[in-house]
Amino acid sequence: MTDRSLSERIDEVVLGLASEAELFEIEGLCAADAKVAAMLERARQRFLALDETADILPLPDGLWARVETSLTEAGPHADEIPATAQVIAFAPLQHRLKTWRLAALSGIAATFMLASVLGWSLVTAVDPTVIAVLLDDQGQPIAVVEGTQSNQTLITLLENARVPDDRVMQVWTKPQDDGSPVSLGLLSTARSLTLSVDGLPPPRADQLYEITFEPLGGSPTNLPTGPILAKGFAKTPVY
Amino acid sequence: MLGVARRMLRRQDLAEDAVQECFVLLWRKAHQFDAERGQAKAWIYTILRNRCLTLLRNAHPETALDPAEAEEASDDAILEIAYNRLERTHDLRICLESLDPHKRMAILSSYILGYSHGEIAGRMGAPLGSVKAWVRRGLLMLRECLS
Repeated sequence: MTDRSLSERIDEVVLGLASEAELFEIEGLCAADAKVAAMLERARQRFLALDETADILPLPDGLWARVETSLTEAGPHADEIPATAQVIAFAPLQHRLKTWRLAALSGIAATFMLASVLGWSLVTAVDPTVIAVLLDDQGQPIAVVEGTQSNQTLITLLENARVPDDRVMQVWTKPQDDGSPVSLGLLSTARSLTLSVDGLPPPRADQLYEITFEPLGGSPTNLPTGPILAKGFAKTPVY
Repeated sequence: MLGVARRMLRRQDLAEDAVQECFVLLWRKAHQFDAERGQAKAWIYTILRNRCLTLLRNAHPETALDPAEAEEASDDAILEIAYNRLERTHDLRICLESLDPHKRMAILSSYILGYSHGEIAGRMGAPLGSVKAWVRRGLLMLRECLS
């Protein structure tokens, strides 16, 4: 075993191929050495995009109640698991842990926290500096686009789009009126989603947004090639 | 999250159990929460996938893998959909594309379907030693490509 590189062992942990003993050993190394922990984190980040290709499914009714029941039955041992060097402790939360734990037992706070965890896994609420309503060629609203200063873009679809099997929805914007459209990303699961793009100027009023149908994996040219599902121009919201 | 679990476990009831157990674990480990969102996301998926793997490995084959109860979609179809949903310009997609199909399938089967080396070998009809070598070599190439 000693001739296997640490990187390889870490990758196998991330893939789920490592044995329990091996997993335990790597976790021990992570706890002892922040560099190993950082390697593991990087390896996880490398594969994260694959998790995001799964269908977004609604959670069944009653799941929260089942979670609450488990928490209540198991009793207040929230801090039995020792913090390791692998994770930087979130100090204020830790400080308030006792209060939080009590609240959890009432069930309400647990629901609140878990709902917020779930919330970002589907769509992250954004604080938009621009909003665009995208319309189809019949003038029907198809999607709402909310863009932030840091180019996080929340796309809320207003109806189930009929996407051909061999196509995917791709979201575009034109940061400069006379420039080329830039891809903000794919709506691979045909559901509402928050997309993040680095390196673009902050969105502005009258900026064009559009959604096109592209081949699976996105436009081969990185420019819109397919038919336009909907488009619209951004406006600045009045608060 | 339920989508990740169902893809791996192939059964709605088991997937719901995994998500439920994941939320309980998240709550218990909340004090380890990293403030940075990207990391928290990977961390939550890790906890979920680990729950799924435990369920897969501990399940009795006759209950977990009963073809009558398992959902219809074939392994290949699931892997193909996942791969196609990766954006063409995404680094991981570009690097996976550069691997030969055996290596790519072996890596995707373990990450997405939770297969062990032995299960990948069985599914691909290949010797265990070859599968281990494909995974090892594929991971090395991915690391080099993504670094």
